[in-house]
Amino acid sequence: MFERLSVMLMKEFLELRRDRWAMFRLIAPLLIQMLVFGYAATFTVHHVATAILDLDQSQASRSLVSHFVATSRFDVVDVAKNQADITRDIEEDKAVIAIVIHAGFARDLENGRSAPLQVIVDGTNSNTALIALGYISQIVAQFSADQASRAFSPRVGTVPPEIGISLQTRPWFNEGLDDRWFFIPGVIGTLTLLQVVSLTAFAIVREREVGTLEQIMVSPIRPFEFILGKTVPFFLIGLGDIALVSTFGILWFHVPFIGSAWVMLLGASLFLLAALGMGLLLSTFSRTQQQAFALNFFFVNPFFILSGFAFPIAAMPKLLQWFTLVNPLRYFLVVIRAVFLKGVGIAVLWPQLAALAVLALAMLTLSVLRFRKSLD
Amino acid sequence: MNARRLFALAYKETLQIWRDPRSLAIALLMPLMQMAMLGYGVSLDIKHVPLCVYDQENSQQSRALVDRFVSSGWFSISRTLGRQAAIRDAMDRGECIAALVIPVDFSRQLATTGSASVQAIFDATDVNTTNIALGYAEGAVAQANAQIAAQWAAAHGIKPSLVGQVDLRPSTWFNETLDSRNFIIPGVVAVILALVGAQLTSLTISREWERGTMEQLISTPVTALEVMLGKLIPYFVIGLVDAGFCLVSAVYWFGVPFRGGIGTLFTTTALFIIVVLGIGYLISVRIRSQLGASQIALLVTMLPTTLLSGYTFPIDQMPAPIQALTLVVYPRYYVTILRAIFLKGSGLTDLWVPLLGLTVYAVAIIWLAARAFRKRLD
Amino acid sequence: MNEGTPAIIAEGLTKRFQSFTAVDRLDLRIDRGEIIGFIGPNGAGKSTTIRMLCGLLRPSAGRASVAGFDVEHEPESVREHIGYMSQKFSLYGDLTVRENLRFFGGIYRVPRQQFAERMRFAVAMAGLQGREDALVRTLAGGWKQRLALGCAILHRPPILFLDEPTSGVEPEARRRFWDLIHDLAAEGVTILVSTHYMDEAEYCNRIALIDRGRLVAMGTPGELRGHRLGGDLFEIACAPLGAAVQLLSGTPGVVEAAIFGDKLHVVLGAGGTSAADLPRLLTAHGIEARLPRPISPNLEDVFVQLVSGKQEERAAP
Repeated sequence: MFERLSVMLMKEFLELRRDRWAMFRLIAPLLIQMLVFGYAATFTVHHVATAILDLDQSQASRSLVSHFVATSRFDVVDVAKNQADITRDIEEDKAVIAIVIHAGFARDLENGRSAPLQVIVDGTNSNTALIALGYISQIVAQFSADQASRAFSPRVGTVPPEIGISLQTRPWFNEGLDDRWFFIPGVIGTLTLLQVVSLTAFAIVREREVGTLEQIMVSPIRPFEFILGKTVPFFLIGLGDIALVSTFGILWFHVPFIGSAWVMLLGASLFLLAALGMGLLLSTFSRTQQQAFALNFFFVNPFFILSGFAFPIAAMPKLLQWFTLVNPLRYFLVVIRAVFLKGVGIAVLWPQLAALAVLALAMLTLSVLRFRKSLD
Repeated sequence: MNARRLFALAYKETLQIWRDPRSLAIALLMPLMQMAMLGYGVSLDIKHVPLCVYDQENSQQSRALVDRFVSSGWFSISRTLGRQAAIRDAMDRGECIAALVIPVDFSRQLATTGSASVQAIFDATDVNTTNIALGYAEGAVAQANAQIAAQWAAAHGIKPSLVGQVDLRPSTWFNETLDSRNFIIPGVVAVILALVGAQLTSLTISREWERGTMEQLISTPVTALEVMLGKLIPYFVIGLVDAGFCLVSAVYWFGVPFRGGIGTLFTTTALFIIVVLGIGYLISVRIRSQLGASQIALLVTMLPTTLLSGYTFPIDQMPAPIQALTLVVYPRYYVTILRAIFLKGSGLTDLWVPLLGLTVYAVAIIWLAARAFRKRLD
Repeated sequence: MNEGTPAIIAEGLTKRFQSFTAVDRLDLRIDRGEIIGFIGPNGAGKSTTIRMLCGLLRPSAGRASVAGFDVEHEPESVREHIGYMSQKFSLYGDLTVRENLRFFGGIYRVPRQQFAERMRFAVAMAGLQGREDALVRTLAGGWKQRLALGCAILHRPPILFLDEPTSGVEPEARRRFWDLIHDLAAEGVTILVSTHYMDEAEYCNRIALIDRGRLVAMGTPGELRGHRLGGDLFEIACAPLGAAVQLLSGTPGVVEAAIFGDKLHVVLGAGGTSAADLPRLLTAHGIEARLPRPISPNLEDVFVQLVSGKQEERAAP
């Protein structure tokens, strides 16, 4: 069997080498995508376009405005003259946030009344809006505390600002809250899944369409050998992909890699087997390349979106959460992020690794069975 | 261009689509399936952040603080821990995203000095979730503080606050409830249509090359423009049906507010479909093997439309070179247009910028595709 | 197209793919109403030539005109006047007979009032009456082939290019196909047909022998048969054939030895081994052999000789 297998392998690699562009096609898009998506995928909110209308023009109101100007979170794009300007800024997408300080703001503060501060948010992008609102309330809280401490020393009868609980926040594993650290491992897994599944799905359908599959099948080769011969090259390509983009992520984007390379290799191998199984399975369901292509789109996109790549699985409805249980990318993302950022080992990651192994085994077995049947 | 030939081509293409019910079913069902999955799956609203609590004191006051976290609705306690080291373990295992550590002298400090500090630890692997959870935690603490301040003031016999507080009154426009679904679903529609469109047309030409029918076709007097229109017209109809499915389910199933005009929606959608079909066709013309064409189609559509169209990741937050790059990611225009039509009720004149982008795109693609089609074998 | 001008002219027509020269300085002059057979081994450049003449490939050098139009600069005008049937079967398998015909009728803009009659004719020609609504992929090879021809002549082109139209078709169907070609030629259609079946060559008015991109010989079947073989042709029955060919190829005086069915065709030059010596020579090497019999050459003999002659020429420059 090894003889036949090695002949199959030789053929696959020969075909790959003949294709002068193959190596270029395999590697270049991967690196370019890694570069672009590494920069593009971010939820960080910086430089929110902000319009300000200060109708009070007092020391207090100017102080509040300077609090906004001081942070890089907000870019003041328009100092408006009247409410109509503000409305137009928001409606025409010039500003996402508008802050309106009404006349009498300082007087209200002086007199111990609550001073209303109007903030208009373009809620179209709810995530940005939520995070920006969070920043605004922090700034306002800071401003209030500053005002209070200024007021506290000369006066008696106010609550000192330090009264109460102070929350000390410790973001572990990613102290700088750099969300590139979160997305880059995700991009690595996604790119690999995309490439491996589509390569595999097409490889067999193509042989079927061109007619070489029939030719191979009349030879004494067993389906198992054929599938192995088909998948081993893609497995190696996949491992190469992961190594390449991981190195790129570490060297270019400075994502820390504090875990063990062996755990990564184990996780990557199991993940690739599952991805190969998925590609093979898709190929057994398609008779033409057109269908393989459509199925690819049909499955890979949800697998990518519903993997926890960007959208927390916990935020999905229960039904979809169950669906993610058969998604190899879901487990691999946990593994790859944990290895990169947390440095944990098999003792912690065994449930994910076991799930990947089960998925790989199930998909490969199923595709061999289906493949055999599809030949009859 | 000749109407007779165009009709013959379009009719032939329609028959071929009709004869392949499997592909037709995929073309019509795929958008709905994807709508269901992505519409529900793409959500950033984390409702219950799993929280581990290590309450070293376990006093009435410390429990009150924990209750504040839980009653805010944003946290749910996944575990109560007995030692500091267990936090790391629980986070490694993904049992919690946040951990609240209350020191052993929490209530004593509060009673004597009026202030105390607690620690909130986050698994910051997922930065966005952490940011949101951080906001929630600060909100819960602020609520607790308001009460503590009031108690302190009462205990010291002073009127609460002679210094006025700033009363933050946010008003949210367009997406009043800040429901991420209203923001994401229009984007999902755009992305699905971009994917389906490319999938529909990107193999139409390469398939004919591989089957040999193209050689027969180009030995006849047909023109490049006739071939293109003959191929695209039937798929345009399918694309419109798909768009109809997606948009109707966005409004009636997912309940995204629709404030714009049907005419605006139809015009812009038709334009967008022309662009996506044109892209697929261009790929198909340029690359003669189905394998190559599909690889390129996957490459230029799936990830760029998801990551660079602004449907999840805001374009204005990307570095300038990447922002420039998004100008060629055609779904970004349609994402902007759909959101504006749905949430803001914008009309065609308000949308002239993205419309111009799409129009330029459509013209360029059609021109390129018509030029790229060669009635030659070499 | 003016009455007097030849249907097809090629002058120094050349096609190179990178370093490989597929067609090498080919000259052709084909008159209206002729049936020209392109004969040659696989890879000889037959298809490439036809594709250049149809305007599907751009010539690397030389020029050609079809129906009076230059193939390089006026390919669209050429296409208005030709019908083409490619080597690979290329009708739409997922369309029915009627739908394919209607499609090509539309593409060629066959006048509507004539279309019904033309379609009836094409269907009758293909022998597909009553099966107009069958999917084309369900048809057997011969029918497909005749239908493809039907599609290619729907618009009554004055010139028809058929690239190995009968490959993979059973003999009976091939014969019927050639009957159709003769009927078309009788109506004045110029037909250029490539084949690697020697027997089909006999059906052509003139034959162009092509090998390695070059026109080796051109003439009527009769003229070619009369081509000097460089000696006398003998048929000899012997076994095993393979060993005999090997032995004789190295024997002085033997111009050519080739297997024809269960016998050997041997061309003997003057002043070497004589016909009478052959059986002895063969039996001496353990090969059973009967007496040789002088025969008159057929096209295949001429072809084998012309092609192999060139081979030797190249092997020993």
